Amino acid sequence: MALDPVIQTFITESTELLQEMENALLELENSPDDKDIINALFRTAHTIKGSAGVVGVEHVERFTHAVENILENVRQGKIKITNDLIELLLNCHDHIAKLVEMATSDEPLSEDFKSTEDDLQKQLHVYLDAVSDRRIKTQTKEPVAREPEFDSELNTSSGKTVKNKNWHISLRFGRDVMRNGMDPVSFINYLSRMGEIISLTTLTDTIPSAEEMDPESCYLGFEIDFKSDFDKQTIEDVFEFVREDCKICILPPRSRIERYVHLINNLPESPLHLGDILIKGGALTPSELDEALQMQDVETVSFDDGQTEEHTRKIGEIFVDEGMVHPPVVDAALEKQKEQKEASSRESKTIRVDTVKLDQLVNLVGELVIANANINQNAQRIHDGGLDESTSALTRLVEDIRERAMQVRMVPVGNIFNRFQRVVRDISRSSNKDIELIVSGGETELDRNLVEKINDPLMHLVRNAADHGIEYPEERITKGKPRKGVIRLNAFNDTGSIAIEVSDDGGGVDHNKITNKALDRGMVRPGQVLSEKEMYNLMFEPGFSTAEKITNVSGRGVGMDVVKRNIEALRGTVDVESHEDSGTTVSIRLPLTLAIIDGFMVGVGASFYIIPLDMVIECVDLAEADRRVTDKRNYFNLRGEVLPYVRLRTLFRENGGKTDYESIVVVQATGRRIGLVVDELHGEVQAVIKSLGGIFKHVEKVSSATIRGDGTVALILDIPKIVESMGGVEIKV
Amino acid sequence: MNVNVEKSDGLSRLQIEGEMTVFYAAALKKDLLDNLADCSNLDIDLSQVSEMDTAGFQLLFLIKREAGLSDKSMRITAHSPATLSVLKLYGMDEEVL
Amino acid sequence: MSKTIMAIDDSASIRQVVGITLKKAGYEVIEANDGKDAMDKLTGQKVHLIICDVNMPNMDGIAFLKELRQNSNYKFTPIIMLTTEAQEGKKQEGKAAGAKAWIVKPFKPEQMLAAIEKLILP
Repeated sequence: MALDPVIQTFITESTELLQEMENALLELENSPDDKDIINALFRTAHTIKGSAGVVGVEHVERFTHAVENILENVRQGKIKITNDLIELLLNCHDHIAKLVEMATSDEPLSEDFKSTEDDLQKQLHVYLDAVSDRRIKTQTKEPVAREPEFDSELNTSSGKTVKNKNWHISLRFGRDVMRNGMDPVSFINYLSRMGEIISLTTLTDTIPSAEEMDPESCYLGFEIDFKSDFDKQTIEDVFEFVREDCKICILPPRSRIERYVHLINNLPESPLHLGDILIKGGALTPSELDEALQMQDVETVSFDDGQTEEHTRKIGEIFVDEGMVHPPVVDAALEKQKEQKEASSRESKTIRVDTVKLDQLVNLVGELVIANANINQNAQRIHDGGLDESTSALTRLVEDIRERAMQVRMVPVGNIFNRFQRVVRDISRSSNKDIELIVSGGETELDRNLVEKINDPLMHLVRNAADHGIEYPEERITKGKPRKGVIRLNAFNDTGSIAIEVSDDGGGVDHNKITNKALDRGMVRPGQVLSEKEMYNLMFEPGFSTAEKITNVSGRGVGMDVVKRNIEALRGTVDVESHEDSGTTVSIRLPLTLAIIDGFMVGVGASFYIIPLDMVIECVDLAEADRRVTDKRNYFNLRGEVLPYVRLRTLFRENGGKTDYESIVVVQATGRRIGLVVDELHGEVQAVIKSLGGIFKHVEKVSSATIRGDGTVALILDIPKIVESMGGVEIKV
Repeated sequence: MNVNVEKSDGLSRLQIEGEMTVFYAAALKKDLLDNLADCSNLDIDLSQVSEMDTAGFQLLFLIKREAGLSDKSMRITAHSPATLSVLKLYGMDEEVL
Repeated sequence: MSKTIMAIDDSASIRQVVGITLKKAGYEVIEANDGKDAMDKLTGQKVHLIICDVNMPNMDGIAFLKELRQNSNYKFTPIIMLTTEAQEGKKQEGKAAGAKAWIVKPFKPEQMLAAIEKLILP
């Protein structure tokens, strides 16, 4: 069968489960006895293993099996949760994650990888062996009650075999089989497909009188002679589901005659009746039957399994309800498991959708927005009341759809936040630090595409904070700080964007160290005075790392510059604030989505520009009188506040159609305000973002473009870049 | 499951429609026995039976046996593929027919 | 008329494998994520057999079985439980509740089909 899409599903699902597994393990560290967590943990391993097996990813199945085993024992209280075990399980988790990743590749596992696996297996077995030792001891005490082995070939030397070359199968179904959803006729049908039914006799003797007969009970028995080349196990397996509730006896071809004796003895029907059936079906010849019936009186056959008492009983004694009375269904002790958690019940209300489909949908919605804008423009030209009404209704709907479509792609950023618990934990262990990660605002939603891309930069920042930020406990104590260092990961919505902060209460940035390093690297000239912000910016320069000791955690050199580049690629910004001994805060700002923005369109000359709406503070006219004055100083007075401004005309070298009227759009980004002087204000628009091709990659101050309703292009301004280049005025909040 | 009855001169014709399975066994048992008690000859048409299981089979057997005990006649006048295949598997297609 | 089988498993990939196998074998398939989802989807329609995972969130296989048997439409519906060999305890509990047919994960598609054919006629 075509398994490829299934493997994909398997990988997605396992990745989620692995995340749950990791979370559970980390939670377990704080509350090692929490049953719910242990159960959840078990379920993750269980499901991964189960799926892997069914999907056919053997190496995942094999390895996860051992983990599942351990967890099953933990669940039963046979293995205790210790920190060492959690550590081991976390390592196993990592290993499974790698195995899952490789599920699609056909390459053989590397030697290194195998030795890791062997090592983990060995460690797991230490736990398992300890349990199984105990288990063996307890198990030997329990005598195993079993039916006598009808067909054990222990005494092959003695006894005469019958001539019959067919199997003989005797079945007496239990009363409850139908109530348990099992239908004897299906088993017989299945059997009939494994060979040839030579003869089948349905025994109805035990169907009681009409009043007493319970129509939901099964009263039937069967004597079957069956020709088949399958082995005994296979034929037995046909009845595996009813084995416990039924009397089943399977005699192989050419069985010893004693076995038939035993069969007759153990069946409720009269020997003569049975004898007829056996002869009719060809199981026994008449003389064989005679012989058997004689033997039956003095059953001396040595079934050497110590249950002689059973075998010396006469038919009459055996007759009554042997195998026909069933232990009452035990429904005690089964506690109702109705306490389900609210949170998990939400799961069943969600469906999984391929992100590609979502992207396609969002793209189409984008096109719809553009088409709608086009209709609006044309409608405005026509000036028809009815048409205007229709278009405005359409616009409302399109806007709604756009919003919903975007929401569909929004996921809580907390999904990735939790991953960092592990990182922080590992670092604090390996570096002997005491660090706690406090996560807040995890419910803040962000476009799924962004969430994926933000993971690596955040990972780096968190590692940095743990590795370089937080001091060793002794050092913290001498500084009068609490022994335990805290890293905070916080997300919140902020004027149309998302802010994510990674802060630590560690040593902060040593200004001298940075300056010295920068001097070393020739990034600053000796004697150059750096503002605080300039100095922080140095940290984002390529090849800059102040860690004196290179650790296996945050490495050297590569890092902050990559972080900055990644964030900027997402139309986001990064800022650092650091105070010596009180810690560092890195703030990231990201747009909510990459696909559509609410913009404010302005005109300069013949061109159109779009300013992200959330960055627009207000628009003011630039009076003729002001124009002349401001021309000289590039500052203007906004109700007593001095703001720098820039003419877009100058910035983008627009020549066409100068006007006498100009307006200022006051914009704000990264906590600073400036004014942009434009010719015309066109108002709010929804802009579907079309990224600029590679040729325009280095065009600064423009982030992307959009296509207007009439097909012309409008550039979307990169306000943070423009603000940065201007300096701007810091806002005091 | 549905049982249609047609009566004339001590002959009852039953037509069973739908499932003759354990789900309806209790109802079917009552229908069959009541109708048998009401007549001297019972014809049963199974051509509209969509599914039959062992419970259904047991009831056919039971009604046949009851009819015999009370000296009434019981015949199955028509089968559906579902009923026939079960009777064949049970080796009873000749006996109950 | 093809028979209808409900497949309940919290693992999407198992549901997928089971679904593909069953459909190929000519069965109609209803899928459910867990016991609760399954109960919601069982609205009286004829289901000939149910394949149910034991270990699931929300409502596990055994709780589901017990609730299922309370519903007159599904009182006697054949059920196959999926489990792993590690779950001997669960198996005992399930058997006491009347679940007699078990398939141990991992299983091959043909094993599952064989189990189904033992329980229902084609």
